[in-house]
Amino acid sequence: MNMYLYELRAYRNVTIIWIASIVGFVLLMMSMYPTFASDAEAFMELFASMPDSVVQAMGIGIDSIASLLGYYSYIFLYVLLCGAIQAMHLGGSILSKETREKTADFLLAKPVTRVAIMTSKLLAALTLLLATNAIYFAAASLIAAMVAQEPYDYGAFALISFSLLLLQLIFLAMGIAAALLLPRMKTVLPVTLGTVFAFFVLTFIGSSTGDGLLRYATPFHYYDRAYMIQHGGYETGFVTASIVIIVACTLFGYRRYQKRDVHAV
Amino acid sequence: MPIIELNRLTKTYGGARGIHDLTFQVEEGEIFGFIGPNGAGKSTTIRTMLGLIYPTSGSAKIFGKDCVQHGPDIKRSIGYLPSEVFYYDNMRVKDLLQYSASFYKKDCRKRMVELAELLELDLNKKIDDLSLGNKKKVGIVQGLLHEPKLIILDEPTSGLDPLMQQRFFGLLEEENRKGATILFSSHILSEVQRLCDRVAIIKEGRLIALEKMSDLKGSTYKKFKLQVKDDLPEAVFAIEGVTEWAMKNGEASFLFKGDINVVMRIIAELDLLNLWVEEPDLEEIFMHYYAKEA
Repeated sequence: MNMYLYELRAYRNVTIIWIASIVGFVLLMMSMYPTFASDAEAFMELFASMPDSVVQAMGIGIDSIASLLGYYSYIFLYVLLCGAIQAMHLGGSILSKETREKTADFLLAKPVTRVAIMTSKLLAALTLLLATNAIYFAAASLIAAMVAQEPYDYGAFALISFSLLLLQLIFLAMGIAAALLLPRMKTVLPVTLGTVFAFFVLTFIGSSTGDGLLRYATPFHYYDRAYMIQHGGYETGFVTASIVIIVACTLFGYRRYQKRDVHAV
Repeated sequence: MPIIELNRLTKTYGGARGIHDLTFQVEEGEIFGFIGPNGAGKSTTIRTMLGLIYPTSGSAKIFGKDCVQHGPDIKRSIGYLPSEVFYYDNMRVKDLLQYSASFYKKDCRKRMVELAELLELDLNKKIDDLSLGNKKKVGIVQGLLHEPKLIILDEPTSGLDPLMQQRFFGLLEEENRKGATILFSSHILSEVQRLCDRVAIIKEGRLIALEKMSDLKGSTYKKFKLQVKDDLPEAVFAIEGVTEWAMKNGEASFLFKGDINVVMRIIAELDLLNLWVEEPDLEEIFMHYYAKEA
């Protein structure tokens, strides 16, 4: 419990900053929605004149972009991007902190098992992500209610917003795996940004080619927002894929964390 | 029952580093010196005992329990001061010590204040702002906070001024009187001479000697260096116990083992410009005291 609280406190400020930035971004983008909606015709023409593949790569659904959910779906891709960076950075830094800050001799000499250390850290990271999502969801709902021109499907809105957490869990698990694969990692940010942007670019390629199997390699595309709006649910195959990734990375993390030698400086 | 029991403990890293076949025991209530040059494997041994790294073969037992299997159980009664102390920045000394104390099911607040006062450590400072010596003090308080039965110190004196070093040694002696066993690792022999009952000397990962301090003291070498006007013939110091004679640029040097009065009488007869009598460093002890084993 003491470790859990300690980690929570250690990452509290950075989490607050992330929440503020993501909410700020959504607020900024959504505040433009009323203007956008009223000039929808003109925008539609603009999109129609662009090559199909570009429009798809940018994640724009031409038929739906003028609706609140369509517009939200579009900007949500960037929310996901931020969320992924936040989650992977959190996972990577919380687990590599002892080796980066050379405090392993402090923590690992205490009467606790490594499993307990790792579990406390994971629970703290999970709590922070849950808090991020709870606050994000409340703020986004409020913003949507403010800018909505006509009634919209709140269920679909919730589904879309909730997929932020699902994606964050994937990247949290990847951050954990990265921290243990690269035990001598000095800074977490380059690895995080590299991984997240690599997946993000893959998403662009994936959505413009529309390849079925490639989608499994692009977590950003696991939770297809057009599908959620239409079917009111997630695609089972990709939910399964998420769970597999999360479980595999976490198990790998536990095994490795327990077995590895923690070297002196 | 021995407090620490190493049995053919081996840890290899592929390269030359590591420890090989270490076997020794530390008895209850002992202050045990663990001596060796840098890179000899002292920290590796200690870190293996604490479960930070896992042995390649052999075993280490503390309080009769295996270090790998019963790690958390054992560590409840160990206080450890790492050689290089790094603590979570951005924390005040008090917060860190309280965090440290929270791992032990004991109320350590009173002890924390006592120790901090003794070592003149400001509890309200940020760890970031502390000097090396003060960080070391945080480490000392952190290690002794929960009144451990076994205190493991890895080169604990670096960065402490002589006054603090004395107080720290006093503190250790007091803990020892109260029943704590102490493992004191150092690369400076003279440092442990005062405190320790027994020493283990380790070099390149192997135990080369395990001695009672009293035995070791009796056979310590002194290093003499004399500056003279004219060349000294070696014959002047043709007495038993003189080795490594060298005469260079008007400076004679040699190692001496034996009755110091004999050599002083000879020196008193000489016309000297200068004289140094020093403790030989560890390397020299290894080279001479252990020459018989080579």
